[in-house]
Amino acid sequence: MIGDRLQLIRSFAPLAFLILLVAASAVIAPGVLQPDSIIGFISDAAPVIALVIGGTFPILAGSIDLSVAGVASVTGVLVVVLNPVFGPWTSLVVVLVAILFGAMQGFVHTWLQLPSFIVSLATLSILSGLALLLSNATAEPVPSDDILVGILGNSVAGIPNTAILLVLIVAVLRLAMRFTRFGRDVYALGSGERAALMSGVNGFVTRTLLFAISAGCAAIAGLFLISVTSFSSPTLAGNLLLLSIVGVVLGGTAISGGVGGLFAAVVGGLITAWLRIVAVIIGVAPTAQNIIFGLTALIAVALTTERKKLGVIK
Amino acid sequence: MIGSLALRGVRKAYGPVVALEGLDLELRVGEVVGLVGQNGSGKSTLLKILSGLASPDRGEILLDGEPILLDSAAAAARYGIGMVHQEQSLIPNLTVAENIFLDKAHASKRFGLYNWPALNRAARLQLQKLGVDIPTNKRVEDLRFSARQQVEFAKVLAIEEMVDRPPLILFDEPTSLLTPDEIQALFAQINRLRARASIVFVSHRLEEVLEISDRVVVLTDGRKVAERTKQSIDREELYELMVGRQRVDPSIQHRDRHVTGAAPLLEVDRLASEPHFHGISFKIGRGEILGIAGVLGSGAEELCRALFGAIKPDAGTIAFNGGASGPGSPRAAVQLGIGYLPSDRRSEGMLPGRSITENAVITYGGQYGWKSWLLSRRKEREAAQRWIRRLKVKMDKEGAPISSLSGGNQQKVILAKWLLGRNLRLLLLDHPSRGLDPGARDDLFEVVREQVDKGLSVIFVADTIAELLELSDRIIVMRDGEVTAEFNPALGALPREEDIVAAMV
Repeated sequence: MIGDRLQLIRSFAPLAFLILLVAASAVIAPGVLQPDSIIGFISDAAPVIALVIGGTFPILAGSIDLSVAGVASVTGVLVVVLNPVFGPWTSLVVVLVAILFGAMQGFVHTWLQLPSFIVSLATLSILSGLALLLSNATAEPVPSDDILVGILGNSVAGIPNTAILLVLIVAVLRLAMRFTRFGRDVYALGSGERAALMSGVNGFVTRTLLFAISAGCAAIAGLFLISVTSFSSPTLAGNLLLLSIVGVVLGGTAISGGVGGLFAAVVGGLITAWLRIVAVIIGVAPTAQNIIFGLTALIAVALTTERKKLGVIK
Repeated sequence: MIGSLALRGVRKAYGPVVALEGLDLELRVGEVVGLVGQNGSGKSTLLKILSGLASPDRGEILLDGEPILLDSAAAAARYGIGMVHQEQSLIPNLTVAENIFLDKAHASKRFGLYNWPALNRAARLQLQKLGVDIPTNKRVEDLRFSARQQVEFAKVLAIEEMVDRPPLILFDEPTSLLTPDEIQALFAQINRLRARASIVFVSHRLEEVLEISDRVVVLTDGRKVAERTKQSIDREELYELMVGRQRVDPSIQHRDRHVTGAAPLLEVDRLASEPHFHGISFKIGRGEILGIAGVLGSGAEELCRALFGAIKPDAGTIAFNGGASGPGSPRAAVQLGIGYLPSDRRSEGMLPGRSITENAVITYGGQYGWKSWLLSRRKEREAAQRWIRRLKVKMDKEGAPISSLSGGNQQKVILAKWLLGRNLRLLLLDHPSRGLDPGARDDLFEVVREQVDKGLSVIFVADTIAELLELSDRIIVMRDGEVTAEFNPALGALPREEDIVAAMV
């Protein structure tokens, strides 16, 4: 029973922290709760949350995808570069390409039995380089005829369409996690890979799908970013890599796998996005923000790691 | 100076399972003590206590009459106690010299720095004591198996120089993977050491124990049931003592069933997977329980894993359910309707962080949903509940993590996972009752028997022979990777326990 209560505290602690953080900010700077600020925050938070969701999935199964920020950057560039070929549907095509890329990455990771950490670090480098190469390292305006980016730039009844799409994605993924065999297999792999495989869980397919989802979410995060800025820069999501991992951990998803999920990802994404506001409120120079996020990542991992579960720290 | 190490009234329990009870034992210098007993008799626990890997719950350990505390392998080494492990404890990517002095403070590696020439010299000295010539700067992974055993041996012998008293050397099944020549060489080493050390020799092979030991101690169910000098005992009597109190109650009513003569469910032909087993052939019919007897290292566990697709056989064929070839992976086995209850429950059987229900539905839950990928959480939960009730799992609620259950209840949930499969045809039970109390064991076997009556086939690697006789329709005995005997209790001839043991060791 005591264990149950601890479990409960564990899963709601991040939410409590988020509320505390928002309340504290509101005390210091009441303006942050103005409707305008909230709308601004949502537009700002949507790409971060999408990245955190993408980053969460492989981690649930005990892998990790470090390439999400690279996928987001390349997405922005491809929407511009491929526009002459695919016209108004370019961004949709780019998301599909990203999903395919993610599936390949997952396949390489499981089929060749390479650590996901290395595989995705390598692809992060490849993708970042690709973004610079394809864009000639220059920022370009997003073509105005792109349907999806156009829609995302608008809002319905004051709510940004990015937020609405995000809610839709979360809902679909939530249903998939709860009512498909895939969802259960993800957690099984994360909490005991050997036992899961000995129980007939298909490790290849599950991991391939996970990385496909991860890259898909990252591509959508990229679309969110360019819909806000209406400019596509090859280093668009460069500083979001660490942030996405921070978000995963702050939400309560265990880096060792098997614990956490979508709810944790959304809360973690919100906390991370709000931390950026806090950094502004308390006057941290933009150049020093990464130091704050790095420290936060360390503290969050220290608080959420189940040391009992780990035999060897790698 | 005659040194001696004595255990007085030592007790050790793991949860409800008592591994050792009130054990008195004296080990003297100049004497080889042979230690025998069936699986689970407490031999390994005793070795763990002597080598500092486990602490007794009660009782004391006396060295020359003074009580000592053995709370770590390092503490044991300080008193001159070392163990030659059955599964070698060397680190493959370090050199021979590094391995020999790995667990010891030595002048050649002071302040965290290696003095390589001194280290190699010291290692060479140790190897010379054994009369072997192995390059000390070679990596262990590049050595042959028998040479590694020599290094392992040298590593333990090096303790001799670290302490100023005669060492106590424990041999845990040292011969199980050696050729006859290598065994004779090992015995020569032991005989050479005999005068200046006390030695404990554990083996399942009774001839070897009788050959090398001065005194034989027999353990059964954690108690010492006999202690004899070599002269006062022979092989036959040793068997009787070992089988001892676990002798089968002749009143056990064996299930009177006739396995139909229809096509067998599984046909294994000259199956081999080196070095575990070879030339294994047998058939199993629908609704039949095939028991496999064998000591650790007999290949019985690996055979189960091969049938489940977790080990790839090198040779031979498996024909399952009318022609289909054997599973190439556990996943394929699951789809064919083959289940496997692993002996390593913690890492292969259960998903520790997940709930009881989830553990039960992980494999076959899809069969209760739509097209096996869309789940019906209600239907599969109901199915899981049925089996959990049927198996009498004791729990607070199904949503609790499986790790909150006792070992026996965990095992029941893992069995439920397989029984949930509507097309389960063959169940492989690898030491299903390991660590279970009698009540949980009976619940487990009752349900297995009931399913067998409905047509399930079972291959069963048992913890004890009593269990094997209780459950099996047919028994094969394996030793060193080969089938050495076959018995057919279902045809009325209940084999004697002694006969089975004789084929095992």
